[in-house]
Amino acid sequence: MIPQLRSELLKQRTTRTNLGLLLSMLPLIGAIVLVHMVSLPMAALTPREGQLKVLGLGTTFGMIFASLLGTLSVTNEIRHGLIRPTFLATPVRGRVIAAKAAASLLGGASLGLLAETIAIGVGMVGLSARGVAVAPTSGDLVQLLLGGAAAAALWAAIGVGVGSVVRNQVGAAIGLVVWLLFIEMTLIGILPSFGKHLPGASAAALAGAMLSQTSSYLLAPALGALLIAGYTAAALAAGLFVTARRDIT
Amino acid sequence: MRSESAPPAVTVQDLTKHYGQAVAVEGLTFALTPGTITGFLGPNGAGKSTTLRLLLGLARPTSGEALVFGRRYGELEHPARRVGAVLESGDFDPGRSGRNHLRVIALAIEVSRARVDEVLALVDLEADADRRVKSYSLGMKQRLGLAGALLGDPELLLLDEPANGLDPEGVHWLRGFLREYAQRGRTVLVSSHVLAEVAQTVDSVVIINKGHLVATLGRDELSNGQGSLEDRYLELTARARP
Repeated sequence: MIPQLRSELLKQRTTRTNLGLLLSMLPLIGAIVLVHMVSLPMAALTPREGQLKVLGLGTTFGMIFASLLGTLSVTNEIRHGLIRPTFLATPVRGRVIAAKAAASLLGGASLGLLAETIAIGVGMVGLSARGVAVAPTSGDLVQLLLGGAAAAALWAAIGVGVGSVVRNQVGAAIGLVVWLLFIEMTLIGILPSFGKHLPGASAAALAGAMLSQTSSYLLAPALGALLIAGYTAAALAAGLFVTARRDIT
Repeated sequence: MRSESAPPAVTVQDLTKHYGQAVAVEGLTFALTPGTITGFLGPNGAGKSTTLRLLLGLARPTSGEALVFGRRYGELEHPARRVGAVLESGDFDPGRSGRNHLRVIALAIEVSRARVDEVLALVDLEADADRRVKSYSLGMKQRLGLAGALLGDPELLLLDEPANGLDPEGVHWLRGFLREYAQRGRTVLVSSHVLAEVAQTVDSVVIINKGHLVATLGRDELSNGQGSLEDRYLELTARARP
């Protein structure tokens, strides 16, 4: 699988899509964190939990953009027909999907780390501008950074699975964003004890980040890790299953 | 000399492919001898592209066999180093440069970076190799596709409508290239619905229509006095119509 992985990593480095994702993600997260910093009342901004909620936005959006990176690595090839040369070079399609998943884990981790970095950076500036003391411990911040990177990495791999099944670029991308941004958040709001076990919330739990600003329900990181590993494996298995059987026209 | 036991470069045996109710290919049988250029002719929708996809393992036959060098494409050890193929003229990421497109394939099939430069020179794309594919003309895309197929220095080339979008000079170049390629003992299957594109190049033709084999004509039959190839092609595909 090493040749395929090297090929996929070169694809990631030489496509404009990923640069576009990065360049739209960073200002978006910066702006969202800033808006929260400016608009939240002091009572919400002072406690540790309140600050973690805002800083955790980096993880939420890191996961969203990482899932797009993963899914586009599949759907972009299908859309432009590059999937044909790819499968001619590597007819064992499972190897291609595995290499895409591995490359997306790396790309997603990078996006997640940068996402959480900018969220923490802007958050610190915002807190100091409001004259609020930084409440999270350095352990909290390390968990946000590393957990955010891990959550985004796994969601990038989920994106590969979803893209392989859905195949339509716009459909897969919209589906992922709508799921993370609306469906899960709504379910967490309505049924928190159920919603916190969903893929977005369980990944965010790695970072200690809450997917919804309205709920303080959060899984323990270890349980979140277990669940999101299962979801990722299921998404990739579905992608492998479908890709191995489908005719390429 | 090739040994008698060497399998044909291409073996299509009772090949059938249905997409739902639609019949793409039905009971197709032919084989290609190494060292020849064969024209794969038929009107649009005759089943040429489907046959090529079946040969390359991109689609699975409903029944029958489509083999390269006696095996399924996916069962060959380094398939892309034995079989090169161009199926569509635009199978690239438009944002990637021509050179990077080839490097991506080269890594996957484990050929050297020097080979990328070689094939770029071979198809005369060196000057434009670092531009994004988006800016390429159709003819340049055809040549880049061909370069990708040649990366593995394959013994068999399968080309689907390679002359589409080429200017007369490009068509002339392609003819010369394929001739020289076959003279080195390699095998080419080139599909076309425009007979004139291949008439001057091929050693034999396989004509299909509506998924069925209509005729296979060797060099002798192509050049004997039964009228031009074009007349025969039109006559054969017309006769096959219900």
